[in-house]
Amino acid sequence: MDEILDGTTQIDCDILIIGGGTAGPMAAIKAKRKNPNANVVLLDKANVKRSGAISMGMDGLNNSVIPGYATPEQYTKEITIANDGIVDQKAVYRYAEECYSIIEELDQFGIRFQKDQNGEYDVKKVHHIGTYVLPMPNGDTVKKALYRQLRKARINVVNRYMATRLLTGEGRIAGAICVNTRTAEFLVVRAKAVIMSLGAAGRLGLPSSGYLYGTYENASNSGEGYSMAYHAGAGLANLECFQINPLIKDYNGPACAYVAGPMGGYTSNAQGERFIECDYWSGQMMQEFYDELQGGKGPVYLKLNHLAEETVAEIERVLHIVERPTRGHFHKGRGTDYRKDMIEMHISEIGFCSGHSASGVFVDERARTTIEGLYAAGDMANVPHNYMLGAFTNGAFAGLDAVDFVKDVDFAEFDMAEVDAERTRVLAPTKRDDGVPPNQIEYKTRRFVNDYLQPPKVTAKMELAQRRFEEVRNDMENQMYVRDSHELMRSLEASAIMDCADMAAAASLYRTESRWGLYHNRVEYERDDENWFCHTILTKGDDGKPAHAKKAVDDYIVEVDDDEKDAYNNQRVTKTVAAE
Amino acid sequence: MPLAQTPTIVPVVVDDALCIADKGCTVCVDVCPLDVLRIVEGPDGSPVTAHMKYDECWYCMPCEADCPTGAVTVNLPFLLK
Amino acid sequence: MNALFEDFDEIAELAAGLDDASPGSRIMAVMELADSADPAAIVHLARAIADEDSGVRKQAAQALTDFDGPETAAALVSALTDSDPAVVEAAAISLTELKDPASGDAILPHLGDADTVKLHACLAGIKELRRPEAMGPAIAALQHADSGVRVEAVGVIGWLQDEGSLPALRDAARDSDTQVRRTALAALGFSKSEHAEATLVEGLKDPEWLVREAAAETLAKTGGAACVPALRPALADEFWQVRVKAVRSLGKLKATETAIEIAPMMDIPVPNLRKECAAVLGEMAVPETAPFLEKYKDDPDPDVRKNVRWALGRMGIE
Repeated sequence: MDEILDGTTQIDCDILIIGGGTAGPMAAIKAKRKNPNANVVLLDKANVKRSGAISMGMDGLNNSVIPGYATPEQYTKEITIANDGIVDQKAVYRYAEECYSIIEELDQFGIRFQKDQNGEYDVKKVHHIGTYVLPMPNGDTVKKALYRQLRKARINVVNRYMATRLLTGEGRIAGAICVNTRTAEFLVVRAKAVIMSLGAAGRLGLPSSGYLYGTYENASNSGEGYSMAYHAGAGLANLECFQINPLIKDYNGPACAYVAGPMGGYTSNAQGERFIECDYWSGQMMQEFYDELQGGKGPVYLKLNHLAEETVAEIERVLHIVERPTRGHFHKGRGTDYRKDMIEMHISEIGFCSGHSASGVFVDERARTTIEGLYAAGDMANVPHNYMLGAFTNGAFAGLDAVDFVKDVDFAEFDMAEVDAERTRVLAPTKRDDGVPPNQIEYKTRRFVNDYLQPPKVTAKMELAQRRFEEVRNDMENQMYVRDSHELMRSLEASAIMDCADMAAAASLYRTESRWGLYHNRVEYERDDENWFCHTILTKGDDGKPAHAKKAVDDYIVEVDDDEKDAYNNQRVTKTVAAE
Repeated sequence: MPLAQTPTIVPVVVDDALCIADKGCTVCVDVCPLDVLRIVEGPDGSPVTAHMKYDECWYCMPCEADCPTGAVTVNLPFLLK
Repeated sequence: MNALFEDFDEIAELAAGLDDASPGSRIMAVMELADSADPAAIVHLARAIADEDSGVRKQAAQALTDFDGPETAAALVSALTDSDPAVVEAAAISLTELKDPASGDAILPHLGDADTVKLHACLAGIKELRRPEAMGPAIAALQHADSGVRVEAVGVIGWLQDEGSLPALRDAARDSDTQVRRTALAALGFSKSEHAEATLVEGLKDPEWLVREAAAETLAKTGGAACVPALRPALADEFWQVRVKAVRSLGKLKATETAIEIAPMMDIPVPNLRKECAAVLGEMAVPETAPFLEKYKDDPDPDVRKNVRWALGRMGIE
């Protein structure tokens, strides 16, 4: 295993779906159900049984819009406010309208949502405007249930193939080039439509533990989707709106204050004082977190030790079973008992992930990107604050639209020279006898990401980052060396990470204002609605480097009243209250 | 070849007595999102047991959860435990 | 390139592995049958759940989670009396994953079983299938010595949402076990009857706070005339968790006449309670409560100040 073999296979399909985590399987199932004759291929770098962000499960839905608890209007309004207004509401509204039918479908798949003692959905209230949190008591079976549906629909699943570049021709999508992660053999897929669902760019910043794979996101989500979209010429939106999360220090997993919050837990400073809104992750909340640490009031903790025994036991039950089950082991190893001790938290490394922020490959309400026939869904597409249910729902939109799209088109012609060039690029590290291994290329890139791109963002630092990235890229392209096909996969990931680092720096420099709290806090600039109330779209320029453009925010379909905007501004101002 | 052999303690531990890789089981290898597990082969090339070959673990646990004989234990990587 | 796509092998071929002499190989066969997601595999898994090796039996019990229907349910029920507790546990979990009401056919005959573990699992399994025939056995199980069985029985009754079960739920709400009482009160949420309301009002005086919390929360669902006066004393409960639910329920019931009683609770130094009070006072928007809220416009707790400002905004005060 892992030896480097020579070989190329070509297959044809109607729809190629890249990424079998959350959005991908749903896209495949929906497309196949709508047209059972469609040839749908679902490809994954790992194995669809356990791939993606919810590999081990998910403890609940954060953004369920269930009739009687919340309305699409309320939800759209909240997401608009949470994203400082930079939202194309159509996509958010369509999600809000249709996500309930997806919940019902997932329920039929065998994914259980918490029900009360009468069998009705037990939605938890977190916010006075709407109620969106729906726990999943058997959330550890999500992937298993999805896999069952893939098998029932007899989807063609290809495991352990990593897509490295998209193919385009005739101004639209033509397919993808993939490489086997255990043999280095190539697979060229001709496809009439391609749906990208490759997850977040989670291996961008370096966790403070220094362990390359100790990331918040599943470490296999290394940003290939962003890189491939970029090289294919698609537009990427608002990449400067980083993902940064409040996590358990070292363990680097979520503290799930939204689980503990309704039961009385809260995020506190070293004095045990509550200072932060912990129910909903936002850039403003992260800014307050940062300010507290800078103000010498840290460390910051999740505080549960004031709660009743029954409540603590319930919190433990929920938090230690699903999503990141090693959390219980972590606390036990350190002797942390929620009854006595507070749980130290910190600020995560940066990443791209629309699941929690608003950046990603630009898509409309049908999950279409700016390239005809190319779709994107889930954490890598720019529908903001998507979370898991957004990945399922937008994945469904992509599958349903793609299956109609392929009816009327044939395969686009592409230039075989592109395939040859990609083979040469991919295999270059295997042709050397000596050089720098991918893990060192990756470590250095990610350390510079931390040194220079972790907010608050400073112009001079980001310009230095660009110089350092160029140097490391040069080393990567001319000196990277791998010994087997597993290392080859890591080298391709290092390359995607480098592309994402470049895009993160370029996008952050372009938007010369501050927005989204800590996510894009540029210390030299204030918020500037006059010039920057717009999306930024990054594309690959003619010189091969990132190019930028502004794109107007679509007219709102749900108006946000002035007093609601004020309430939001008021909350901003009062960060100084917390800092006093 | 200038590459060093740097020792590292790996998070995933397999109990060889319980592992049924010799029966053709590859569940843990199959489910690992980061593809860091491999099957150790005997001198004749036959499968013997699973082990962690690459220290690239997200400590996510499918290998432990899906192992049919309870042979796999996921510890937290030393650097962050 | 045959190995490119995942296989869809013939079930008979996969099932042949169940005859292998080695338990490890039989486990592998069970896993492959499960991955097939083909109902034709059920009969073979039903055979494997009676294998001589407990590892194979446990794997088969887990594998049946991927299937549904009376055949699956029957195989799982048969495993509930296995000599290995791990097999029983796996079968019990798989039983709760059944969706097809027809699966209940295989469970219903066992709802009077003498074996406590089996009865518990069968009640838990039938609950979500909502089979009306389960009502009688579930009511009978309320007399069972094991409190866990009684909790599951209450669950079955609650999911059936039948007014005829109200006397049984009232009895359960007076059970000696806290968990049974708590579950029974929550199960009354489907009924708008005075009977349910009276039982919930009684629950507000329970010695255990978890029970009072359930009563306070569920009263908002029944919503009758007696609710508001009954909830008023709960605003002074010694446990803030109960007070939070009482406030929330009074808000849902739009009991604006209680706003002036809720307003002073803003001074109680419990973050969740203050947050809830501010939200409910905003929903009620009674101008007389504004002075209680105005003190906290710049509260150090961001949730509280956000809700306070929102509430004042609803009263037309900036």
